[in-house]
Amino acid sequence: MRYAGKIVLVTGARRGVGRLLAEHFLREGAQVIGFSRHADDDLVAEGYTPMAVDVGDAESVARGFEQVRKTLGRVDIVINNAAVLTSQYSMIMPPAAARGMLETNLFGTFLVSREAAKLMRKGKWGRIINIGSMAASLEPIGDSVYAATKAAVATLANVMAKEFAPLNITCNTLGITAIETDMLGQLPRDKVDAVIKGLPLPRYATADDICNVVDFFASERSSYVTAQTIFLGGVN
Amino acid sequence: MSSDKKTAVLETIYQALRTLNEERGPDDQIAIGPDTCLFGEGSALDSLSLVSVIVDLETAVSDQFGKPISLTDDKAMSRDPVPFTDVTALKTYILELLA
Repeated sequence: MRYAGKIVLVTGARRGVGRLLAEHFLREGAQVIGFSRHADDDLVAEGYTPMAVDVGDAESVARGFEQVRKTLGRVDIVINNAAVLTSQYSMIMPPAAARGMLETNLFGTFLVSREAAKLMRKGKWGRIINIGSMAASLEPIGDSVYAATKAAVATLANVMAKEFAPLNITCNTLGITAIETDMLGQLPRDKVDAVIKGLPLPRYATADDICNVVDFFASERSSYVTAQTIFLGGVN
Repeated sequence: MSSDKKTAVLETIYQALRTLNEERGPDDQIAIGPDTCLFGEGSALDSLSLVSVIVDLETAVSDQFGKPISLTDDKAMSRDPVPFTDVTALKTYILELLA
């Protein structure tokens, strides 16, 4: 079991990519903490601890990590996956929706990463993996704020990689393409199909495509890999 | 302010510095006392070491006194001088936050 003895924290673990990664780590023997905004996470599994944490709220994140510190004492791997998406032309994008993307996708990743680093530094080992998006590179119409937040989380990881390097904590970003999730359902399918058709590897991502790169970033052997972004599907 | 609390806060700061010393080489030890310079000219701490001390202190003070504190919020950073100049200044600031 690849992650036996490891404690993994996944944000946005209630559904979508977060859920599939939480299940992946559980299958591989990890103890998994799932941060979700709502307290209705229905995943029941040995080794899984759901916690209601709003990653965009500094106090909520601090409380969540306080609980992690007092109950588990540490965290080894963090997957910053929580994200929201509103796709709309900039001129008619509701400001609240834009702000929501900034708070969850960017500010949330910042808050969770820094609290995680405080715990990881004691053990001088850590892996922080941000879930980015092909949108950061392809910059599709309608995704101005979403793409900006996903570009920003890669930059965030790169700077944090420098700050946390002396603590043996790596920070990397996986830029995923489209995968069948609730979030995908919010977008016009014909437009997403057209984007996917234009990729060098023109197909939707699978769970295994995502787990493969996450495993690479998380592995012991990747201690010399930090401040990197890997895109799926040939996006660059 | 009770002298017990003052002593306890001072000891918590010393403990954070002792923890830092455990990670440093024998020739790189910090002399620990009320005048130990933590920030600015004359400080023996690099920026990452100061961050480590602050993080340890925030956790230890919260655990010991049951009140979460932030040593690096806007209030702290806008003070002149900042409350990290030396151990005594930091102790005074923590006691303020706990008051």
